[in-house]
Amino acid sequence: MPEQTISRRESLALLWRLLRLAKPHWRWMALGTLLSLLTLLANIGLLAISGWFLAAMAAAGLAGVTMNYFTPAGVIRFLAIVRTAGRYGERLVTHNATFKLLSELRVWFYRRLEPLAPAGLQGLRHGDLLSRLQADIDALDHFYLRVLLPGLVALVAVPLLLLVIANYDGPLALATGLALLLAGVLIPLWLGGATRAAGRATVRDGARLRAALIDGVQGLRELILYRAADRHAEQCRQFSESLADQQQRINHCAATALLASTLVVGLLVWAALWWLIPQVTSGTRPAVELVMLVLLVMASFEAVQPLPLALEQLSTTLAAARRLFDLADQPPLRPEPACPVELPNSHQLELVDLRFRYSPEQPPLLRGIDLQIEPGEKIALVGASGAGKSTLVQLLLGFWPLEAGQIRLGGQSIDRLPADRLRERFAVVSQHSHLFNATVADNLRLADPTASDEALQQACRAAGIHPLIASLPDGYQTYIGEGGRGLSGGQQRRLAIAQALLKPAPILILDEPTEGLDPITEREVGETLAQAMVDRTVILISHRPALLSHMDRVLLLEDGKLQAEGPHQTLLANTRYAELMHWF
Amino acid sequence: MPNPAAQSTANPAEIDGRASQRWLKQHKALAGRLPLLTVLSGALAGGLLIGQALLLARIADGAMFGHQGLAELAPLLWAMLGLLLVRALLVRTTERLAFRSAAAVKLQLRDRLFRKLIRLGPAWLERQRSGELSHCLHEGIEALEAYYARYLPAVALSAFLPLAILALVLPVDWRSGLILLVTAPLIPFFMILIGKQAEQLNQQRWQQLGRMGGHFLDLIRGLTQLKLLGASRREIDTVAAISDRFRRDTLAVLRVAFLSSLALEFFATLSIALLAVTIGFRLYWGELDFATGLAVLLLAPEFYLPLRNLGTQYHARMAGVSAAQQMMTIMQAEPVEKASSSTTELAAIDTLELVNVHFAYEAEQSALKDIQLQIDRPGLYALVGPSGAGKSTLVDLLLRFIYPQQGSYRLNGTAVDKLALESIHSQLAWIPQQPQLFYGTVADNIALGNPEASAEEIEAAARQAGAAEFIRQLPEGYQTLLGEGGAGLSGGQRQRIALARAFLKQASLLILDEPTAHLDRVSEAQVQQAIQRYARDHIVLVVAHRLHTVRQAKRIWVLDGGRVIEQGDHRQLLNQQGLYARMLGATQEAVHA
Repeated sequence: MPEQTISRRESLALLWRLLRLAKPHWRWMALGTLLSLLTLLANIGLLAISGWFLAAMAAAGLAGVTMNYFTPAGVIRFLAIVRTAGRYGERLVTHNATFKLLSELRVWFYRRLEPLAPAGLQGLRHGDLLSRLQADIDALDHFYLRVLLPGLVALVAVPLLLLVIANYDGPLALATGLALLLAGVLIPLWLGGATRAAGRATVRDGARLRAALIDGVQGLRELILYRAADRHAEQCRQFSESLADQQQRINHCAATALLASTLVVGLLVWAALWWLIPQVTSGTRPAVELVMLVLLVMASFEAVQPLPLALEQLSTTLAAARRLFDLADQPPLRPEPACPVELPNSHQLELVDLRFRYSPEQPPLLRGIDLQIEPGEKIALVGASGAGKSTLVQLLLGFWPLEAGQIRLGGQSIDRLPADRLRERFAVVSQHSHLFNATVADNLRLADPTASDEALQQACRAAGIHPLIASLPDGYQTYIGEGGRGLSGGQQRRLAIAQALLKPAPILILDEPTEGLDPITEREVGETLAQAMVDRTVILISHRPALLSHMDRVLLLEDGKLQAEGPHQTLLANTRYAELMHWF
Repeated sequence: MPNPAAQSTANPAEIDGRASQRWLKQHKALAGRLPLLTVLSGALAGGLLIGQALLLARIADGAMFGHQGLAELAPLLWAMLGLLLVRALLVRTTERLAFRSAAAVKLQLRDRLFRKLIRLGPAWLERQRSGELSHCLHEGIEALEAYYARYLPAVALSAFLPLAILALVLPVDWRSGLILLVTAPLIPFFMILIGKQAEQLNQQRWQQLGRMGGHFLDLIRGLTQLKLLGASRREIDTVAAISDRFRRDTLAVLRVAFLSSLALEFFATLSIALLAVTIGFRLYWGELDFATGLAVLLLAPEFYLPLRNLGTQYHARMAGVSAAQQMMTIMQAEPVEKASSSTTELAAIDTLELVNVHFAYEAEQSALKDIQLQIDRPGLYALVGPSGAGKSTLVDLLLRFIYPQQGSYRLNGTAVDKLALESIHSQLAWIPQQPQLFYGTVADNIALGNPEASAEEIEAAARQAGAAEFIRQLPEGYQTLLGEGGAGLSGGQRQRIALARAFLKQASLLILDEPTAHLDRVSEAQVQQAIQRYARDHIVLVVAHRLHTVRQAKRIWVLDGGRVIEQGDHRQLLNQQGLYARMLGATQEAVHA
């Protein structure tokens, strides 16, 4: 992921915001931190006290004096048990906290995205952006476990350990503090800086390699027919090599960092010996403390061991958080009305001098549309692709703000209606209808959560898909796969029609409902549509004469205006219309 | 929306770990001696660590009980520093070697896999999920990095270092050695015992997490649809409910899954405590000297460390093993048919003939039955039929990506299996609905089959394909980069580049799949004209289910259920009142009614 550097100030702001989002679960997070801290300290204590115990026992044995060995032996056993049990408890609690946080973040994010769709989420239609979104959410999921937890533990454990060491020897504590800072923070920071360029290059080369491999797999026929397959394989190999070169640069830095932290630990222990041995020799320090202090110093590195990874993860997390916050912070393009009015009873639609463009830089797409659609009337929009037919429909649904003019439902401007109440009046079937990776029944019930099984079956019978669903092993409880992949194009379209039938809305919008189907399927789907049209206002976008001939009025949309209207048969006399008909 | 976790989890990825592991270990050889050097260097570093611990124990003993000062201990201290420096260097070397051995394996495996895919050909590829294949070649291979660089060396070291420590401890302190000896095998034993179940559970946990992520993404992708159905606000509660259910389900799983690490932790920690206590008492009773006792205590954590490392490399193993599965499938697959060894060259194609051709994919109903098809002069020809009629199969057969089980396929009167495959392909061109552009410049893409073509030839082909104008308007003309990070082209522009590619090749048989689908009006007209011009002196076969594109065809074959059920030109077929007329009717009748 190409990551721009984030300023320190912004990092803090992002971190603060993440923490605020995590706040509702602070108890679990604190408990996890506490357990983690206990486990860590128990382990360090175990090692240091064992060392002391050995030295004390040997000294007592040599001097022939008795010593109370029950207490230290008991402490050692106790610490061993604390460490083992603490580790288990810590893992359960921290994972619980992670899942709680994950749920919190998702709900928050969904709540923020919901008002933006679809106008504010245009960019997400591309697969790569969507998969980046997924990676970003995953990165946030691990915020507590991989970033916050090790950071907090180190923040508490290191001062505690230094205090204990300082209690015996101040300079030694100081040296240990410096070494911990080096190993836990400075060396990883150096590594992060040194590998930044190579990291970016790795992302770039990786993407290039992936694209070449995908091209090769998808375009294998072409490569073979043009006898270019070997050349392409050679190219992939080169891309693969340059990716490996970049990875090697990172590896070299990482290996050097490893060397540096090995040296830091080793040298500290070595220096501690030089410092402590004269104290023992001169008798200023009891001999038994030597081993304990050396072991304590050595073991204290365990507190900073997870920090390099946490720091690495922190920059990923912050970059991900920034992208997600940027997306979620957009104001909705079309804000909800400040003082909404009641939904009028009539569902007559009126478009008055409607003007629209997607952004100020783009030329106007619709330039003065006047249209009145009576309840129960069936109209069709015809025009070349890109003429603005689908846009017009999106405007009716209140997805975009108008540049000028008005849309009225039952005489009331739709700008004064709450958007979700407005959309209760519409049922939509389009070639882009999204089916969810859930059961057939669940998908259908999105349209009406209270629908009975009988109602589902009735809708599916009308849409001509009931026999197929009934023949599936799990019937209406069959999972249809991602994007409805388990169904053919015609079946997906029929399911979308059944959805629209289940939604008790008086206005039916059909946006190219038969596009992309072969002629036979197209005709069958067309027939089922006729069922859905009964008793409703219909707005159809299509070039299929078979569908158009059923409509009361056909409107020709060209150059941002309605150029002609009339029944299909009459309009055929219009040369432009006839041309379009012939074309499609 | 329901809980996607409820989907059948009866099959928690039954991975045949053993075969994949064997396969992965075999391919270690691709890195030559690097893996061995990695392990040697790692073992040496481990040996030096043992040396450091022994020296530390000696120094502490001297200072504490031998009444030795710095002067006496200095040589030992300097030796310790020496060991440290060498060990630090070795640690770096091991890290580098591990990377290099993994990189060598990755590089060669990826190359081999890709070349194997080429040999398996499109007919085999078609029957796989293309997304999974490219995922396997990219992310799959990358996942092997941890396997070769971390897991395999960790396995080797986990065998070597504990043994070395044991060999050192046993002679000087057999009691402590015994404790190590007894507890060490217990660790793998319990890990295996609990791990079998934990492995499954752990895997389920990752699957569930993945599925949950997928579910959330699905919701976002379908947000517009949810809004249209008035369900978008309702789903907020579902998001929360599902996350919560996931949490509870997963925690139940984790409670067991974490037991394996608990056991490991338990034995390692407890035996260290046990060692400390027993050594302490023997020191007290004077049965052991301090230097030995301390050395054993220092070595004990190092004794268990490699075994614990092995546990943390568990994911590397899992990822490697599951990535290897698909690689094995690819490497073990057999090409559809052996390439013909014939070297007879094919001249420009004048005639094409299929007689009684029959084809079936393995163990499926036959896809093509009794196909008769004859073309004996240049011109535009068409193949139509509803989806699933066998059009694509027939095209693959013409392109020699699949081989008929019965019947004959002749080009210029010669049976194709008597011709060199390369020379057949050099006469053919094929343009799918969404032609593939490759990473490189526009010129590279047009000259795909003729890398030596001059700039003039490339431009001539582009003009012929009606592509010259838009290419001129691209930021860097013919040198504009396409593909990843390059200029985005519309469907029509891609198609015209593909046409230019075919024209430059001067393919004597050009096959086009739905050439004008997804095109706007202007592009469609341009593409149509270019095709018509080319058809004047080449054979052009258009595959279509939108029928207005095929009116001008000299001859149209109508395919249904794998058979040619009608043939003739547009007018003749209309008069037959068969499928063609009906298909046409479904789209056209109302226009002129």
